[in-house]
Amino acid sequence: LRAFLTTPYETHEGWLLAVTLFHGTYYISKVETEAARRNRDNRTERHAEMIYWGYKFEQYMCAGKYKERGRRKGAWELVSHWLTVFFECSMSTIFMDLCNALLSFIKKDDYRCANACYFFITKLPNGLVIASLENYSPSSKIGVFVRAGSRYENVGNLGVTHILRLAANLTTKGASAFRITRGVEAVGGGLSVTSTKENMVYSVECMRDYVDTVMEYLINVTTAPEFRHWEVADLTPRIKVDKALAFQDPQLGVLENLHTAAYKSALCNTLHCPDYMVGKITSEQLHAFVQSNFTSARMALVGLGIDHAVLKQVGEHFLNIRSGQGAAGAKAVYRGGEVREQNADSLVHAAVVAEGAAAGSAEANAFAVLQHVLGAGPYIKRGTNVTSKLSQGVAKVTTQPFDVTAFNASYSDAGLFGFYTISQAGAAGDVIQAAMAQIKEIAQGGVTAADVTRAKNQLKARYLMSMESSNGLLDEIGAQALATGTCVQPKSAAQTIDSLSANDVVNAAKKFVAGKKSMAARGNLGNTPFVDEL
Amino acid sequence: MDIFYISVSATGRLLSGFRKWYYNAAGFNKLGLMRDDTMYEDDDVKEALKRLPEPVYNDRMFRIKRALDLSMKQQILPKDQWTKYEEDGNYLTPYVKEVICEKKEKAEWNKK
Repeated sequence: LRAFLTTPYETHEGWLLAVTLFHGTYYISKVETEAARRNRDNRTERHAEMIYWGYKFEQYMCAGKYKERGRRKGAWELVSHWLTVFFECSMSTIFMDLCNALLSFIKKDDYRCANACYFFITKLPNGLVIASLENYSPSSKIGVFVRAGSRYENVGNLGVTHILRLAANLTTKGASAFRITRGVEAVGGGLSVTSTKENMVYSVECMRDYVDTVMEYLINVTTAPEFRHWEVADLTPRIKVDKALAFQDPQLGVLENLHTAAYKSALCNTLHCPDYMVGKITSEQLHAFVQSNFTSARMALVGLGIDHAVLKQVGEHFLNIRSGQGAAGAKAVYRGGEVREQNADSLVHAAVVAEGAAAGSAEANAFAVLQHVLGAGPYIKRGTNVTSKLSQGVAKVTTQPFDVTAFNASYSDAGLFGFYTISQAGAAGDVIQAAMAQIKEIAQGGVTAADVTRAKNQLKARYLMSMESSNGLLDEIGAQALATGTCVQPKSAAQTIDSLSANDVVNAAKKFVAGKKSMAARGNLGNTPFVDEL
Repeated sequence: MDIFYISVSATGRLLSGFRKWYYNAAGFNKLGLMRDDTMYEDDDVKEALKRLPEPVYNDRMFRIKRALDLSMKQQILPKDQWTKYEEDGNYLTPYVKEVICEKKEKAEWNKK
């Protein structure tokens, strides 16, 4: 711009601009002319020194704080260049730099650096929560979080959320199934659905420039699906494959059984469609579920790498078709039962839990810290789990391979806390009893301040690291936005964790020891105790 | 028959009288069939048939069976059971149109 504007005054060097047209945008860059190159080559040492002084003076004048090498940003670059137009004709670069420095010195407040992130959260009057984090990333991620997890199924439509998960790409009012798939692929994006016991998450990711396209498909999928009955019927083989893949892992089966054993309602619904319901869910049931659960008051629209104004507009125009609270879900009632699955596996998987704390309650953090005191997963592969109290306790009673971790789950109105063991079939009883004994020891005060500090650090680290990936960050923001309508800053979450005392941890352990236990076990259960024998 | 129906857009009274006469002259209504029952089953129609709701499909099967039975016995239905021109609904044509639309969309995408 400066070169362009100084043309009337330019007498010695001239300028050369290269223009490229790329994807509809003109890119202009300056190319050094012959005269300029000669000048640069023949620059005297004195001249070079003066140039250096000028730049350094400018730099120090613009620094915001003492010792900070600040860089001036924004409009002042332009203004300083405008002014240099008038001095270009005769002065050397020193003078120009002096003027630049002077101007920047006059207005040196604009130091927001380009890699700050801007987080906004708004709650619309119809209950929809919109949250966005502008992190200037080249890719964007948008998620629609709906309070429509498997806990909102009733006895008549068990498995409907599983079908909904698989039905995300079916024909909608605005686009056919084929078009959704090809359209999202064509811009290099992705559409995925995840569901938990409480929420369903529809998320799309793509390059920033194509956000409009994938947003359109996302809105179609969440607000206007058609569930054509032949397309729904075609999902049946996919359900079977999905279940087969998921249950390859024995842990999933044990955890589903655990919830079935622990609760009478709501949370006992499994994430996957029960076998007897495969192929029986009709299009009408899907429509009914969507109508009663996908309402604005139960949704949150979250975006990473997108402007808040854009997201707000989308939320106001498109996501408010169904208003109201929808059907209220059943309250989760704890019962404390047992489910045993006898099969020929040589490894016994067992989970023993008691009632824990609901998410957001005062005790929730205490249980999380207790979980890390006891040991929440190996930190070094094939290591000896030195920091895990459970592992150390169990290692005293058996020499055979085993694994034991503390289990902690917090839902919106209930929670589970306990431990999960994997052991050889013959040693299962010893392992489970040893783990119980270890927690009893903590309940009687057997935890040191060092243990608690270590556990707090591990918990904080795990929490913060889970938000390092864009997936984890989106999930965290969305879950918070949906549950409470606000987002807790990571710093204050860390402070809340730090404010816990060893007493809170001991109280949490006492609650576990005193509570009615639920158990789920799977494998060759000859040596596995029943829940009333623990 | 289909071509004739599609090409008629403005229905004057004369034209509608002609259509009614043609329908009765075609004769399938004497066997108790509807117009869409007689559609030739090419791939598009087969796909559309899969999409029919179950009661409609069952009715169609019944009508076709009855017509086959009558044609074997070289009989026709009594006059009061003939399908009337006014009652004949195009239950299958919308599905066929949609199948063709989808095929076109796929072809367009594959061309790009």
